[in-house]
Amino acid sequence: MARTLTTPDVSGLTVQPGALSCSRADFFLSNRGFTVNQTDDVIVRLEGVSKHYGATTALDGVDFACKAGEIHAVLGENGAGKSTLMKLISGVIQPSDGRIFVDGEETPLPTPRAAVERGLVCMFQELSLVPDLSVRENLMLGAPGSGLGRLPGAIVRRAQEVLAQIDGGGIGMGARVADLSLAERQQVEIAKAFARNPRLLILDEATSALNASVVDKVFTLIRAECARGVGVLFISHRFHEIEALADRISIFRNGALVDSFANGAHDYPAIISRMVGQKITDLFPAKPRARPEAQEVLRIDDFGWNGELTDVSITLRKGCITGLGGLDGQGQAAVLQGLFGLLKKTEGGIVLAGQPITLNSPGDAKNPDIGIALVPEDRKTEALILQQSIAANMELAAVGVRGINAEDPALYQPYTDALELKCESLDQPVSQLSGGNQQKVALTKWLALEPRCLLLADPTRGIDVKTKTQIYALLRRLADQGTAILLLSTDYEEFIHLCDETHIFYDGRVVRHLTGDAVTAENILAATLNIPAQQAAHG
Amino acid sequence: MSTRSKRLPDPDTLMPFAGAIVMILGGSLFFPQILGLGYLGQQLQIASFLGVIAMGATVVILLGHIDLSVPWIVGGAAILSTSLAGTGDPVLTALAIPAALVFGAIIGLINGFGVAILRIPSMVWTLAVNSMLLGLAVLNTGGFNPKGEASATMIWMASGTVGGIPTAFALWMLLTALLALFLGRTGFGRYLSSIGYNEKATFLSGVSTPSVIFAAFAIAGLCSAFGGVLLAGYANQAYQSMGDPYLLPTIAAVVIGGTSILGGRGRLLGTVGGVLFITLLTSILSVMQISNAWRSIIFGVIIIVMLLIQTLRRKES
Repeated sequence: MARTLTTPDVSGLTVQPGALSCSRADFFLSNRGFTVNQTDDVIVRLEGVSKHYGATTALDGVDFACKAGEIHAVLGENGAGKSTLMKLISGVIQPSDGRIFVDGEETPLPTPRAAVERGLVCMFQELSLVPDLSVRENLMLGAPGSGLGRLPGAIVRRAQEVLAQIDGGGIGMGARVADLSLAERQQVEIAKAFARNPRLLILDEATSALNASVVDKVFTLIRAECARGVGVLFISHRFHEIEALADRISIFRNGALVDSFANGAHDYPAIISRMVGQKITDLFPAKPRARPEAQEVLRIDDFGWNGELTDVSITLRKGCITGLGGLDGQGQAAVLQGLFGLLKKTEGGIVLAGQPITLNSPGDAKNPDIGIALVPEDRKTEALILQQSIAANMELAAVGVRGINAEDPALYQPYTDALELKCESLDQPVSQLSGGNQQKVALTKWLALEPRCLLLADPTRGIDVKTKTQIYALLRRLADQGTAILLLSTDYEEFIHLCDETHIFYDGRVVRHLTGDAVTAENILAATLNIPAQQAAHG
Repeated sequence: MSTRSKRLPDPDTLMPFAGAIVMILGGSLFFPQILGLGYLGQQLQIASFLGVIAMGATVVILLGHIDLSVPWIVGGAAILSTSLAGTGDPVLTALAIPAALVFGAIIGLINGFGVAILRIPSMVWTLAVNSMLLGLAVLNTGGFNPKGEASATMIWMASGTVGGIPTAFALWMLLTALLALFLGRTGFGRYLSSIGYNEKATFLSGVSTPSVIFAAFAIAGLCSAFGGVLLAGYANQAYQSMGDPYLLPTIAAVVIGGTSILGGRGRLLGTVGGVLFITLLTSILSVMQISNAWRSIIFGVIIIVMLLIQTLRRKES
């Protein structure tokens, strides 16, 4: 500890950083004076760090520091440089310019292993588990002390403890990762990171696939680690999460650190305008008056499947956005799958415009007579073919559909324009796009078919705020034009501000149907946990 | 919105053609007769047999699968067609070629069934099918070379000429053009490479992926069977395991032609180049006065060099 106490001063004096980092060094020094007992020290410091990819500048002369015992939230749009920053600190990539200090000593981090050895543990946004290995094997993969010789069993026990604390106790150690749901995989990622005894824990979109109650538990765990003196770097696109968790907030824009301040110093609109560089008045479009009597488009009656879904009845109306919420794996995803012809042997009926229909495959569902489209949850493996061009991806659903010329760019342009798709050319492979732009391609691909009913599985997961507003605005406009939209989400703000009504699932059933003023955060949370609303209000 | 560029032959596709030309020119330094029309015409004729088979293999490999039943579809089609033609009955003789093609298509559908419906890895399933076809052929012929002979049409297709060019080569080019047109103009070609990259995402785009897999294996079966018919016409007979020497060169030709063995990326035109390259390489090596051992080593090294050039170039871009 003595080493970490003295060295920052020296480096603060010897190097001549910009004014910003100078003042920050002063801030650290003065702060230390008050809190000597707490481990209020800088673990990692970046000085004038830049990263170029060819002609693209991902990070431009950034000075940045993370301290022990502090939860430091990093905000920014996709492509602002957040992930690049994380990759630099965790040794995945090397800076083109500038220096990295660990515990005050200039330390190059040539490999992820070098970073882990210094206690810098990163949980990546791109899920980094090996799908074909078991959970146990993934936890041990690259763990400190592994390699030749005995495998460290302690790390698995520690990970199991962590999993138990975040509702992941049911995940078997022998289970193949590919067989886990997206949320379960994320829980394993979290456990893997915590089990490595980090000194600095980097969480890049760590909770994007998790629902509110699990997120709460993850946060409890993060706070506990933080109280032990672990530093946390936290990236999230959910504002309420950042507000609940962060001590300090840094905002990145176009590869530069724009501002850094204590949580609470600025309100949402101020933070958002700093992130975007322009004023975004509202995240969500204005919600029109509820239209409970609007024309029915699609209805499912007493829908059931394989014990995972029981007696679900939902009506989708013209111009309405209907939300599906609940804890992970409560059956809401199966509703989307059933409506897209992905489930075999379903019970109950699907009624489209008054006619009972059967759907046996996605091909049936996208048939223009039916007109159902699904934008799946996992962009990278389900929604898009990453190696193919933007054009090929957008055309894939439309090719072979009666009455549509899939190669006509006019089919896609209205949607790529409305969503402001950023790309060099439509021949560019989708893999080169940022997550937000990938999602725009996935949406356009299906919107071009002009579906009567649009099914969306968490379309804003891990997406920056500007893209979110674009997607929300487009969804509202489509609804106004008469599309019925069914939106599965893990972000309850979407139910409150975007959806006209919301069905909350628990154990394969709809436990609450919330409409109008009843759609509140309290009611949603209570329903997801299947406790009556009043009780939750008291508790 | 930016415009889309027209698809021009990419370097991946042109590489094997360039390689073939370099080999002809290089070989001619030692053996000037390589530049003769007689020699080159003969190479085109021989390349056609491999070419027809590799055309079908490209379709399956684009899909991300592999067809290891090539040898005995070739052998079976050859046995079937020569047996029918060997009866001397005019009706059966006329049926020789269609019967062989139907045989190939049926085996292709069986391959498709195992891969698309039973979800057994194609490498295992088609290997098993190949083994069963071998067994059936031995049961049928008692292990001896089957009796029979090629029909006149078969001999003309394999050894004749049309307007000065070998008929086999003309047929190969015609079929390649037709298949390329089919892949380029229909959703099928697009689905092939989409499935090769990501079958799940393709299925979730509303594509009936099982039908595509069935069709691809059926096309491969047809091509292999037609290759068998040509070979039987060339040799004027069928013999046990006549398809065996064609399995690995087929795969090598497809891969050298720039098609990814993992599926998704590739062009039919590249396979044509790959076939010409492999055929010329084999031929030039065989006229050189070196031992078989060195011939095999050089063959392997040149193929690795070709693939390395392709891989390194792709990494750079």
